[in-house]
Amino acid sequence: MESFPILSLVLWLPTLGALALLAVPRDNAELARRIALMVAVLTLLASLALPLGYAPAAAASDGSLALQFVERVPWLPMLGASYSLGIDGVSLWLVMLTTFLLPIVILSTWDSVHKEVRNFQILMLLLATAMIGVFVAMDLLLFYIFWEFTLIPMTLLIGIWGGSNRVFAARKFFLYTFSGSVLMLLAIIGLYVLNREALAAAQPGYPGTLDISAIAANLRSGVFRLDPAMERLLFGAFFLAFAIKVPLWPFHTWLPDAHVEAPTAGSVILAGVLLKLGSYGMIRFNLTLFPEAARWAAPAIAVLAVIGIIYGAIVAFAQTDMKKLVAYSSVSHMGFIVLGIFALNRAGVSGAILQSINHGLSTGALFLIVGVLYERRHTRELAAYGGIWKVMPVYGGITLLVALSSAGLPGLNGFVGEYTIMQGAFLAPELGWPFLGFAVFGVVLAAVYLLRLYQTVFMGELDNPENQGLQDLNRRELVTLAALCVPIVALGLYPAFALGPMQASVADVVNGLANTVAGRIDLLP
Amino acid sequence: MEWLIWLIPLLPFVGFLLNVFVIRHERPAGLVASGLVAASFVVAVTAIAMLAGLPEEERRIISVGWEWINAGDLRVPFGIMLDPLSAVMVLLVTGVGALIHFYSIGYMHGDARVVRYFAYLNLFVTMMLFLVMGNNMLILFLGWEGVGLCSFLLIGHWFERKSAAAAAVKAFVVNRIGDAAFILAMLAIYANFGTLNFYEVTVAGEVQPGFLERVPEIIGQSFGPSWQPIALATGISFLLLIGATGKSAQFPLFVWLPDAMAGPTPVSALIHAATMVTGGVYMMTRTEALFAASPATQTWVLWVGALTALIAGTAAIAQWDIKRVLAYSTVSQLGFMVAACGMGAYVAAIFHLLTHGIFKALLFLGSGSVIHGTHDTQDMRKMGGLRTAMPTTYWTYLVGAGALAGIVPLAGFWSKDEILAHALSHNHWPQLIILFLTSLLTAFYMGRQVALVFFGTQRDTHYHAHESGRVMTVPLIVLAVGAVIGGAINLPWGHWLTDWLHPVLHEEAGSFNPVLALIATAGAVGMSYLGWWLYTSNAAKVKVGGKDPAYRYTGDIWDGLEEAWYVDRLYERVIVQPFRGLGDFLARVFDPQGIDGLVLGIGRFFGWAGAQVRELQSGYVRTYALVFTAGVVLVLSFMLIFTR
Repeated sequence: MESFPILSLVLWLPTLGALALLAVPRDNAELARRIALMVAVLTLLASLALPLGYAPAAAASDGSLALQFVERVPWLPMLGASYSLGIDGVSLWLVMLTTFLLPIVILSTWDSVHKEVRNFQILMLLLATAMIGVFVAMDLLLFYIFWEFTLIPMTLLIGIWGGSNRVFAARKFFLYTFSGSVLMLLAIIGLYVLNREALAAAQPGYPGTLDISAIAANLRSGVFRLDPAMERLLFGAFFLAFAIKVPLWPFHTWLPDAHVEAPTAGSVILAGVLLKLGSYGMIRFNLTLFPEAARWAAPAIAVLAVIGIIYGAIVAFAQTDMKKLVAYSSVSHMGFIVLGIFALNRAGVSGAILQSINHGLSTGALFLIVGVLYERRHTRELAAYGGIWKVMPVYGGITLLVALSSAGLPGLNGFVGEYTIMQGAFLAPELGWPFLGFAVFGVVLAAVYLLRLYQTVFMGELDNPENQGLQDLNRRELVTLAALCVPIVALGLYPAFALGPMQASVADVVNGLANTVAGRIDLLP
Repeated sequence: MEWLIWLIPLLPFVGFLLNVFVIRHERPAGLVASGLVAASFVVAVTAIAMLAGLPEEERRIISVGWEWINAGDLRVPFGIMLDPLSAVMVLLVTGVGALIHFYSIGYMHGDARVVRYFAYLNLFVTMMLFLVMGNNMLILFLGWEGVGLCSFLLIGHWFERKSAAAAAVKAFVVNRIGDAAFILAMLAIYANFGTLNFYEVTVAGEVQPGFLERVPEIIGQSFGPSWQPIALATGISFLLLIGATGKSAQFPLFVWLPDAMAGPTPVSALIHAATMVTGGVYMMTRTEALFAASPATQTWVLWVGALTALIAGTAAIAQWDIKRVLAYSTVSQLGFMVAACGMGAYVAAIFHLLTHGIFKALLFLGSGSVIHGTHDTQDMRKMGGLRTAMPTTYWTYLVGAGALAGIVPLAGFWSKDEILAHALSHNHWPQLIILFLTSLLTAFYMGRQVALVFFGTQRDTHYHAHESGRVMTVPLIVLAVGAVIGGAINLPWGHWLTDWLHPVLHEEAGSFNPVLALIATAGAVGMSYLGWWLYTSNAAKVKVGGKDPAYRYTGDIWDGLEEAWYVDRLYERVIVQPFRGLGDFLARVFDPQGIDGLVLGIGRFFGWAGAQVRELQSGYVRTYALVFTAGVVLVLSFMLIFTR
């Protein structure tokens, strides 16, 4: 495509900013923050071109993905690797979520990061590039590089700026998620080799390709066939990496540790975007490339998802640390997202994408909210609070809005996502009503643990003298939280705005599932 | 015309926005909030007048604002409608709502967070209007949960009080249990009808069907295990019934409503008597076609309603708190409405809903006037003899109590009689007896309450009782007039309401049974008098903090009644505490030691294995040679076995 490389701009702007920050003196915190903020805002503005220029398009007839803003430059021709970028309806809003959260997170560091500010910003900007890279990379090798690269800045953010047990949490985070992705690397290599062998039979001298879209096209057109056992193996290797990242029960135990120790900004990015790398990967790889295996594994995965929904909610209820409570609520909410993905129909997958955005907004906001109190009182124990609403009315109001959005109140974003997911799972022939009979308890329990949080912290008597002098939100905090509230309300009332552009791509994924499976069944004896 | 109906919910919403973002002072807040709800009422009257001008079969105005959800298989428009059923609900919500807004100006005067109070109240009216005007289940659900939120906010208005905070959360959570069932019902409706619209509607030039018109399609279908198939209509309608038991405070989910009295009294009047709690009855009436398709569910509905009426009625006679009497009474009366739905007498249910909305709002506002005039006294043992100090409150309260007790010709008499008459003519004997007994209890506890509050002498003299200001007494008078003449909308001879609702519910007017009416009236008068007489003649035995005179004769049974048969305590022991235990176990034992223990164990295993492997690097060539040989043998045998 001969147009302006807008994706590269969005992708590399934060890195450029990070490089620029190297020139800033280490102790000039204010300047570092301002530059970082400016870069983040510029990235956001640049990324606005994506939804504005995005034209929902039907899938190409050869089965390749209907990508837009495509950029493709040969990179390692002997491997068939290229610098290949592009987005479709699945990744569009995830990129937007990342660029939207970035300035908010950087703005929050004024109040929450007090040491090594410049280096913090550098890492944050590098992390942004890595995350956007995961969403826009359309080459397996490039994807893998970005994927692994997200680990490094995040581990450092936890390990350097984290709480008292930060080194342990950082190491656990790194090792746990890294061991998942090693298998994915094997699967990527396997996929590459098998594809090359399959095509080389017909076209001698075929160099092989790492282009995701091309491999998808080969699989869909039938020139590249995987036998079911191999497909399931590859599916499993990819899935494990994503399931750990999401995290799907029972792979979730790194999450509470990482969240509790991470600085506020780190938690927001972790919950807001990093977990979505997992749900994105499931749609992009597990569903698109391995449809038969996806169908085969769907009920089992859905069972894990439903267990996660209920388990996460019950454990969240029993927490006394606010951050841990929110972390376990993520386990519950991400369970809904996985349930939606493995409903394998349009409602389920669209709901899962939408809910990925919603969860990023609401949970990101919840972590910021916890951070606000932590900065003032240096404790996250529920028991230390009570009656805060009286001294912090604006803060109380915003917290309530965000908590309700997380609890799925209709009119706010969370409900639309959850309902769409549930409808998808209900309609799915593999799942159906028994799954929902359990999953719907997640809706009840979300109200239980979030309102319990609200009741203990904000309601009741203001009896702790240390809380009586608490100041309400300062202007910066108000801006960051209000900015998050806008899409929370907007997506609740007019989700069609986000759901519309993703429909063509989602339909493509789902049709791929249906067609390939039909073809496969004919082939089986 | 279409845009006009959008004004009805949007005007209060504008009030909400103004009170949240612009207004900072008490006076403008109250005036704007009340004025906009009143304006909404005027618009509603205009719209309904235009609706009435249409031919009967065309009386349904649907307006779709935008496509709310468009996720492939799932498509739901954001649309509202006005039809005869919505119309009467809209009139009740905006009419009674406006009066209660005005009343609140006086009642909440001087409150620290009064602006916020009016914002919540406006939001409540908006959400209630979406509930009754939604053209599909999801909009209804938006209003349904929205009013739940406002109920939470308003019960918790004085959130410094621990009891208010707990009651607010309890109300929301208990409602959520019903809401979960509601969600399942919606999922099932969409899965089977492909739509959540009530009636056919055109969205962006495309005709979407309505499920109420298609209910016959699922008759005979079933789901569930083959050894116990469940009729689809039964499954869906039963889930809706669970939803209704949450919102309309029916057994077994009624426990939140009495606690909800921790909120300001106008809130109790508006939300927990006149409007929100009737949402379940409205919803069942709206989806009447689904219930009609399942006789099994209908039986459940009937029993739930009748038993709730009785349980709450017995609890109401033993309360000391002036508002808790009314709260249990509300639960009991909602039981009447639900029972009416279960009998298929939907017009009677709506009729009772409307009259009850008026006279119960009157009673709550009256009790608020008493609480206001006695400086926040709610314990009836501290009252007595307020008749002289608060004449307007007394007389209007008397009208309301008479209407609730079912004294002819007040509004409550006609609507309650219609339910009983329907039970009689359709031979629902057990339920008829239960409901009749309940109506006797109703008359009794109202007689008791009037005697305790207004007769005798003031038992606690620490305060000086005074009549409330005009901003509070005028709404009382207006509502009292309504409680007197409200029955006229569906007299056995005119049955205007039945005719008006005919396009929606297709019901014919039932017959009036003079014998039953005579017995019911005699019972009501007799029991009211009995209650009044017992508690005026034994007034000397009522002591502040003491037991009820009846305790001497009933003993612990009276305590049981006061605690509403200990249902709350049962839940505490059987559900809440085990849940806490489970949560603690999972969070402190299973998760860190079970799952995470496994993960860390694997980590340690690799650490240990690494250490072992390090020792293998011994440097002896013969060891390496041995391992190498073993490896080659393994690989070769693997290839031989698996690659043949």
